[in-house]
Amino acid sequence: MSHSATHTRTLIFSPAIRIFHWFRALSILILVITGFYISWPFLVAPESNDVQVQSYIRFAHLVFGFLLTAVTLVRFYLFFFGKSDIERRSIQDVLSVKSWLVQLRSYLWSGHLHKAGVYGPLQFVTYAAISFAALFICITGLVLYANVYHLGMGGMMWEPAAWITAQMGGLAEVRIWHHYLTWVFIIFTVIHVYMAVWSGIRFKHNSVDSIVSGYDYHKK
Amino acid sequence: MDTHAALYQQGKARLDMLRQLKARTPHSLENKMMENEITRRDFMKWSASVTAMLALPLPFSSLVAEAAELADRVPLIWLHMAECTGCSESLIRTDTPNLDSLIFDHVSLEYHETLMAASGWQAEENLEHAMEAYKGRYLLAVEGAIPTANNGSFLTVGCKGHTGLEIIKHAAEGAAAIISVGTCAAFGGVQAAHPNPTEAKGVHEVIDKTVINLGGCPPSEKNIVGTLMYYIMFGKLPALDMFNRPKWAYGARVHDNCERRGRFDAGEFVEEFGDQGAKDGYCLYKLGCKGPYSYNNCPTERFNHHTSWPVLAGHGCIGCSEPNFWDDMADFEKPLGRQLLHGVDATADTVGAVILGATAVGIGAHAVASIFAKPLEE
Ligand code: HEM
Ligand code: SF4
Repeated sequence: MSHSATHTRTLIFSPAIRIFHWFRALSILILVITGFYISWPFLVAPESNDVQVQSYIRFAHLVFGFLLTAVTLVRFYLFFFGKSDIERRSIQDVLSVKSWLVQLRSYLWSGHLHKAGVYGPLQFVTYAAISFAALFICITGLVLYANVYHLGMGGMMWEPAAWITAQMGGLAEVRIWHHYLTWVFIIFTVIHVYMAVWSGIRFKHNSVDSIVSGYDYHKK
Repeated sequence: MDTHAALYQQGKARLDMLRQLKARTPHSLENKMMENEITRRDFMKWSASVTAMLALPLPFSSLVAEAAELADRVPLIWLHMAECTGCSESLIRTDTPNLDSLIFDHVSLEYHETLMAASGWQAEENLEHAMEAYKGRYLLAVEGAIPTANNGSFLTVGCKGHTGLEIIKHAAEGAAAIISVGTCAAFGGVQAAHPNPTEAKGVHEVIDKTVINLGGCPPSEKNIVGTLMYYIMFGKLPALDMFNRPKWAYGARVHDNCERRGRFDAGEFVEEFGDQGAKDGYCLYKLGCKGPYSYNNCPTERFNHHTSWPVLAGHGCIGCSEPNFWDDMADFEKPLGRQLLHGVDATADTVGAVILGATAVGIGAHAVASIFAKPLEE
């Protein structure tokens, strides 16, 4: 018995984009948790101070901080220079008032936007904003890093870090902004996950699994 | 080492030049030391420690010693603006005069409102005379912020009623170098804290010359005298950091050299004042220590003849050497993450959690509505 497929599938997310997405997700999760510890060390002191609790957690924060920094840079590069233009095409929708209206109405259960690229206009703008937020939190993180590790890479970053510190009005301001931005990521993540699940259910395609498998499905 | 050799020559030449100038009084530093029972040996030790503090190699200590003796050749004008005189106090208020206060006494101090005998018209005359006689040569030290609102009229000094703003502009013109002593002169200090009704500013914001900022409320006597010594010795400004503070003093964070740092790394924190952790010398981060955001040499140089400093005494650093510290470092006994935001009287975490809660409610409502919404027909 043979039956023909009911859906066609297209590859929308390259392996690189998917891998980086999950690296980002993982690093943000760990950075938020370790970041809150750094902000208010909530674990009780260890039995012996050979166990450098704060240092280990700060170390984890930095490892994933550097991972996030690397992914953020590569993702900026891929957006502009990646082979597929499926992300870049969405700019057409961002520039079209009609697309905005159709998209916003579709969130209120009416109609459906046939997108030029892979993202809707509001979605595109949100992702752009979160990418810049990532850039900013990485920069402030690196400035803080340069102040903790004075040699090697920290030392190399010292001059630009000092310049940024001066522009921001001192190291306390750098750290305060680093903290504020943490909340931007938390709130973004909650909305992002909901919207991904909801769109999959509502529009019956391009749901959560596309960022895992890379494929989007359309009814024949 | 080559740059050090060049610097040494520069210092040597500068001191030879100073030696040619007339001493202010016949009373030499040696006499003053004898009167105060400070031995030559103490003096050599002091020179060596100042050399080390300035991050110079040991051979420079002979220059430091010489510069100390010649300090009376360098005219110094010290102005008081909107301030509390705590910085002067930090320097001169010692029970036994030590070398730092003695050197300050020995510098050719032409004008200092707290210390001079003159008052009224005579004081004004002294200032004008000093600025005229040593034009282009004097070292100008300023203590206190400069109110600028209403054309500076929130601060008038002396019998002629000049505003601080006028005085500072005039004095800066003829100065060879300008030192802002303390956070008020450097960054505005408490006068410039929110809402800053007098629009008080740091000296460098009202004149257009390079100013050395000695942050600190107050700066330690070491940092004041060290800066004077550097200028006397070399006749130029030391290497400065991002806020024009001398790197030898403000090059590292308080946190970098703090004696409790091991406790910090281990995660051993004082939870409240007077608990067992406090007795055991745990880290004060959770009680609001701002050492991680403050550049200063307090842990190594300390205050009051190297006796103690805030963290050693059991209270966190309040970041007093940083710009805008009254606002940025508040609350002094809570870490930055728990700072109350202006206007809402809540922490960033509370605000974040409220927004998160609102988001969750919105999502819930949208999800429920979605169940009842008409399915999409294509
Ligand atoms: C989503 C990304 C990130 C989040 C959510 C995050 C979160 C946080 C939080 C909440 C703090 C404590 C701030 C406070 O005192 O209140 C912190 C501190 C810090 N973060 Fe991040 N961070 C992120 C990315 C990074 C990156 C990319 C770096 C650098 C590579 C970095 C390096 C640091 C450093 C060095 C500190 C201070 C540690 C110390 O002073 O000992 N962070 N972070
Ligand atoms: S007491 Fe302050 S400066 Fe010292 S280690 Fe703790 S946080 Fe750092």
